Amino acid sequence: MPGEKMAEHSPRPARHPQTPHWLRRVSQSLLGHALLIIVGLFFLIPFLWMLSTALKTDQDVFRLPPHLLPHDNLRIMIDDEELPLYDVTLEGGLIRRLALVEISSDAVGTFVDPADPSITREVRMRFAEPILVVAFQWHNFPDAMNRAARPGLGVNFWTYLKNSLIVAFFTIIGSLVSSAPAAYGFSRVEWPGRDVIFLVVLSTIMLPYQVTMIPLYIVFTDKLQWGDTLLPLIVPSFFGSAFDIFLLRQFFRTIPEEMCDAARVDGASELRIFLSVVLPLSKPALASIAIFTFLWAWNDFVGPSIYLTDPQNFTMALGLQDFRGQHQVAWNLLMAASVVFTLPIVVAFFFAQRTFIQGVKLTGLKE
Amino acid sequence: MEAEKTASRLRRKSSARRGWSPRTRRNFVTGLLFISLWVIGFIAFTLYPMLASLYYSFTEYHIRKPSEWVGFANYVNLFDDKLFWTSLYNTCYMVAIAVPLTLLCSFACALLLNLRLRGQSIYRVIYFLPSIVPVVASTLLWLWILNPSSGLINTLLSYVGIRGPNWFRDPNWSKPALIILGLWGMGQTIVIYLSGLQDVPVSLLEAAELDGASWWQRLRHVTVPMVSPLTLFNLIMGVISMFQYFTQAYLFSGSATTSSQVATPLGAPLNSTLFYSVYLYHLAFRTLKLGYASAMAWILFIIIIVCTVLLLRSSERWTYYAG
Repeated sequence: MPGEKMAEHSPRPARHPQTPHWLRRVSQSLLGHALLIIVGLFFLIPFLWMLSTALKTDQDVFRLPPHLLPHDNLRIMIDDEELPLYDVTLEGGLIRRLALVEISSDAVGTFVDPADPSITREVRMRFAEPILVVAFQWHNFPDAMNRAARPGLGVNFWTYLKNSLIVAFFTIIGSLVSSAPAAYGFSRVEWPGRDVIFLVVLSTIMLPYQVTMIPLYIVFTDKLQWGDTLLPLIVPSFFGSAFDIFLLRQFFRTIPEEMCDAARVDGASELRIFLSVVLPLSKPALASIAIFTFLWAWNDFVGPSIYLTDPQNFTMALGLQDFRGQHQVAWNLLMAASVVFTLPIVVAFFFAQRTFIQGVKLTGLKE
Repeated sequence: MEAEKTASRLRRKSSARRGWSPRTRRNFVTGLLFISLWVIGFIAFTLYPMLASLYYSFTEYHIRKPSEWVGFANYVNLFDDKLFWTSLYNTCYMVAIAVPLTLLCSFACALLLNLRLRGQSIYRVIYFLPSIVPVVASTLLWLWILNPSSGLINTLLSYVGIRGPNWFRDPNWSKPALIILGLWGMGQTIVIYLSGLQDVPVSLLEAAELDGASWWQRLRHVTVPMVSPLTLFNLIMGVISMFQYFTQAYLFSGSATTSSQVATPLGAPLNSTLFYSVYLYHLAFRTLKLGYASAMAWILFIIIIVCTVLLLRSSERWTYYAG
């Protein structure tokens, strides 16, 4: 389209009558929105599919064609019993709305007429079309949480949720308590050798966890007898992580030196300056650390799968696999549990969107 | 007050230059105290395990009885281990295909999200959100969507007359399925690219436009070079994390077989998802060949260092730093 190109390059496109300026703008923005929506569907639909599956009945999960809105049979009360309604095609092409009582093994349904429950009819199920209405199975959520995948152990999803929360809570405390002083020592106190040591901190980011995994496993399970406890997942976080130290150091460096110097002149110790000048100014950065540590602890699968063997101690990341039974997967319950698993992170995201995005930009990926 | 402040700063600077004055000595102790927790952690959880695993890699390690020194036997045996090469091939496949593809797609998405349009904040949230879904949840979700018989994708494909592949049950399709799953969660890479695009000076793009550069030329000669440091960052992070790829593959192989009574055979189907870290995990925690697995871990470390250095070296030719 040479005309369009000309208009694009001209400083005053309104002069070209053949492609009005506004028309070009509108078509460009339409094209942009169209592309954004098409690509956006790839990101959005799996999300909605998770939510929708979580709210479906067992039959509805596999019903064709695939549908986003959960449906259930329309039911009617007959003699204190809730029976699903069907449109049944009788001999002669007559269609009647009947309630299903039971299905025999050879796919013949016994139906009753809601108007007169004494009349029963036996019809092959392929002549019966269920009446469906939109219905959300909210009870899938408590069902999934209370489901005891391993009978006799008294373990259900609440146990896993509790363990995940314990790990996340103490890991957050640990990384804040340990990384903040270290970051201060690397940014606000000048001491010989500081920058060399800081390079060591940064280089540990490169180290793949597989290298330290085996000796740590031996130390934790054999030497310290911490196997099958949450300790191996929590304790290391109390000794600082390179990512957190790096992030906080970057932030501390933006705090004006004058404020610390003023306190120093007043005779405050470095510890006091750290606690009462620097930390109160660093709330956004500390929030970033807390959120990213939470994400990491919540997500972690390798750690729990190495150290935890008793379902009593499983975190949610491990426990989600319970829903994959021997032969059949309870997809709706699995998705309900996944929603519960994902929800805290999504909620945290919407409360602290800026912190999330800022953190990603600062650290890149934290995994 | 003001004079005192500058004086103290001057004093500090001069003493640092001269070296170990009492003040420097005091700062040294203070500094070390501040980083002491990290130092303990570094020695206990990084340095010691590193040296220990290096030592283990030359032994046949037993937990209960003393281990035997075997020299380079573990490394030599790895060289003859067919599964080692399979896992290395599978991992390189992902590094060579999934990482560049993710970068390309995230860059394209970031370009879309950077258009000056209404409602961009909503689009940005939608594109980013999948990346914060916990890996276990997103993998299980995609196992459901890609379910060969009743999943969303194959059902939709069947409506347009295509018989969908068996995805994670087919050795030829299990890795592409993992790549799709990875693309769904590429939001963080998109955000990094987007922040870079927002930093590209508008004046530069306008100048190029006035000079008659087409959209493609502006992209190729202005935008891409301007975000090339981020490409380097994303590339290195992508390669490092892809060499450690584990959780998704672990869950995939659990779904490729139906029985969950026995411990899930890793790498199913037909070792197509046996990645480096998966095989390492198998050796260490299923067969307890800890020395052998340590040797594998050290080879991984060396591979990662070599890749990072090569990428950094090559980057001098294709990255552009303004200022």
